[in-house]
Amino acid sequence: MENRRIFVFKGILWFICGLAAAVAILRYAFGLGAATALSDTTPWGLWVGFDVMGGVALAAGGFVIAAIVHIFQKERYHAAARPAILTAFLGYGAVAVGLLFDLGLPWHIWHPIIFWNIHSALFEVAWCVMLYLTVLALELAPTILERTPFQRAYRFFSRLALPIMILGIMLSTLHQSSLGSLLLIMPFRVYPLWYSHLLPELFFVSAICLGLSMVMFESSITSWLYRRKPELDMLSGLAKIAAWALSFYLAFKLVDLFAQHKLGLMFAGTWESKLFLFEMLISTVLPIILYSLPAVRRSPTALWLTSLTSVLGFVLNRIDASGISQVWATRSFYFPAWTEFAISLGIVSACGLVFFFIQEHFPVDPHELETIERERATVEKSTPRFAPFTQVWLGEGWRKSLRVYSLLFVLAMAVGLTLAPKSEPAVDRPIQRARGADILRVGDGPRYVYFDHKRHQDDNGGKQSCVLCHHLHMAGDVGTPCSECHRGLYTPTNIFSHDRHVARLGGDASCVKCHGKRRPVDLAAVKKCSGCHEKDMMTKNPVVKVFDVRTACSYKDAMHKMCIPCHAKKASDPKLNKPNLGRCGACHNSGTESEKIYLAAFPPQPEEAARP
Amino acid sequence: MIQNPTILTDVTKCIGCEQCVAACKKINHLPAQGPPPRPGSTPDGLSADRWTTVIRKPHNHFVRKQCRHCEQPACVSVCPVGALQKTPEGPVIYDKSICMGCRYCMLGCPFGIPHYEWTSAAPSVRKCIMCYPHLKSGEVKEPACVTACPTKATLFGTREEMLAEAHKRLAAEPKKYIQRIWGEKIVGGTSVLYIADISLDFLGWNDSKELSDEPLPRKTWAALKMVPFEFVGMGALMGAIYWIIERRRALAGQHSDSTDAGREERGHGK
Repeated sequence: MENRRIFVFKGILWFICGLAAAVAILRYAFGLGAATALSDTTPWGLWVGFDVMGGVALAAGGFVIAAIVHIFQKERYHAAARPAILTAFLGYGAVAVGLLFDLGLPWHIWHPIIFWNIHSALFEVAWCVMLYLTVLALELAPTILERTPFQRAYRFFSRLALPIMILGIMLSTLHQSSLGSLLLIMPFRVYPLWYSHLLPELFFVSAICLGLSMVMFESSITSWLYRRKPELDMLSGLAKIAAWALSFYLAFKLVDLFAQHKLGLMFAGTWESKLFLFEMLISTVLPIILYSLPAVRRSPTALWLTSLTSVLGFVLNRIDASGISQVWATRSFYFPAWTEFAISLGIVSACGLVFFFIQEHFPVDPHELETIERERATVEKSTPRFAPFTQVWLGEGWRKSLRVYSLLFVLAMAVGLTLAPKSEPAVDRPIQRARGADILRVGDGPRYVYFDHKRHQDDNGGKQSCVLCHHLHMAGDVGTPCSECHRGLYTPTNIFSHDRHVARLGGDASCVKCHGKRRPVDLAAVKKCSGCHEKDMMTKNPVVKVFDVRTACSYKDAMHKMCIPCHAKKASDPKLNKPNLGRCGACHNSGTESEKIYLAAFPPQPEEAARP
Repeated sequence: MIQNPTILTDVTKCIGCEQCVAACKKINHLPAQGPPPRPGSTPDGLSADRWTTVIRKPHNHFVRKQCRHCEQPACVSVCPVGALQKTPEGPVIYDKSICMGCRYCMLGCPFGIPHYEWTSAAPSVRKCIMCYPHLKSGEVKEPACVTACPTKATLFGTREEMLAEAHKRLAAEPKKYIQRIWGEKIVGGTSVLYIADISLDFLGWNDSKELSDEPLPRKTWAALKMVPFEFVGMGALMGAIYWIIERRRALAGQHSDSTDAGREERGHGK
């Protein structure tokens, strides 16, 4: 019988990989700007928070299990060793691939090998990850070589196992903690609840907790997929160890907060404190309670759910520390673009597929492999069955899978390329001539604002204020864009200033003016902006001419535009009889040498004698 | 080129004409107007193509923002490959041929100075380099922004000269100025100093509340200097534990049953 669970699961993974492949094309063709929602205030996003920070921590299962099995020699956990090492290898591979997407100049990824800066925590992480990936490959080698003809190599790597394991644990200790050291230099960005000078130690301890939960999670999910009995004895033992490790982490974290006098911050009621409490609850407190209950330890489903909760909690911890908590300082909102999710999930999916491939072809779990190979043999021998509706025979076994999976992959790529955001071309917006624009177009969509030139002038100090916007005396000087003063222009949430409205409308007594008398005061019954700002919110219509101007013109242009039309009109008025009024010299008569030379080229017309 | 070149900006003298911006763009061949700011960023005017900018504050205060060229720069210490370097003379410069594009410098900088070319497929980190190549070659005697300033609001000289000038001005008009030189001591001192009649704490993240006189790289180094000891220590610890347990098992193996060995046999029997 074919395993439908595996078939569907792999199909989904292939689909996600296809999406990611499409986004990859976009990212390399147009750069990070087109493929991410990152900005100068949020230079690290999902790819660092989840793929690198989270990925390394998720792969911690490798070194934790290696220590338990090979150093502490708890043989009952032996079954978990090979899958954990395979996961760790794939996890670190994912980190490396993730970096290839996240780095701005990925073809320089090898630079830490020759350009050294021992003062950088990231340099240490880079080296440890490189070395540990090598070590994991060596740890994995016996699994791959066991059933191959290269028996001498197999024996060689098997004998090397212990020193390699110890080296792996040493390297893991370093870089798991160094991921915490990465954040030490930014007390001004990381929120105090996450910041501590003990971040390296906290990251190390939490990596051990996360590693244990990850091994349990993965073991449960593979046994469900391959329809085999979960190794409950091993799982419940791991749960006990995890409960102890988590308790230690909780105590450590609380003592650390207490020592820094930050315990009060936990209950400050701000969004940061709520996020922190939620994170601690799902990563640590809940799992400690659940792992300690014998009833939970006897149920594979409960263990699977608990370990999943803890894993998600710790991944959230990494994302919080390296990203979300920093919103406190940057006050700028970042939510990953779908393309970022596609790449992140795509890398995870690709790892999953490699995991299944190795699981099905190499003795990661010898008993398991036998069953799989037996199943495969029966499927290959069975008579062909046609698909129910199309009557197309796709083949059996791997041939059928290959066809279905490649179809899904190509489909996903097509979907991805269709949805992909087209990069915004970096156009040099030319500064346009002056005009008495009333309605300005802002942004690319149908967004228009009413621009009151007189009010701008009055508010900024009358005639003296022209140069605030109109300058452009020098090459390279730019026109003043609206965003120069209206800073929130590109962030939709900032356009409405509640404080300013309250102040203008008369302080605390003004609530009812917009919110009505309904209790509680909320957004539901609020007056629409257009209720007061009808003129400001005018939209495009055939009567009003819209100007696509986003910057103020030059001072010269501003003055000329104001004077010349009227001067030219008056000059052609025979009643006034001032034909030179429209000429440069009418205004530019300061008497400097250069002006005289210029004006000499355009001699004034003689004014006609007064007509009778 | 002088040693430890320093820029002193007197905020009370700045009229916000942005001639410094224009001069900076000209000498560094930056486009007049680059791509619009990315959504989600809080624009202070700086960008990959605008290395210095004038921030307009209420009541006609104009504050020029640029790279501070710290004495012990965080950006240099965090760069894993050393693409950002503190030159022997003082300015902090950038080498694209070494950079990986990890953007750690952008997070490490307490003033939010390095900016990225988000729309480029081969992006660089861009920031003020105090006209280092031009100063070094003797092409100019002072940075372009200083030369361009029509009101001499921004001055150039050695750090000692500039500190002396700042102290002189603070002493001459004690009522006008806040008695503080921004950049004298913060994060170990910077090579761009300010004197002003308004607080300039807004130039750092989170209004500089978390910044002290301690240089930031020390915070990381406190942890990193322990790395060799942790590495060797962990190896020794693991080796020792392995040896002890192995030894105990060997001894226990001589007796008829030990819990560990018994459990192992049961495990294999299954």
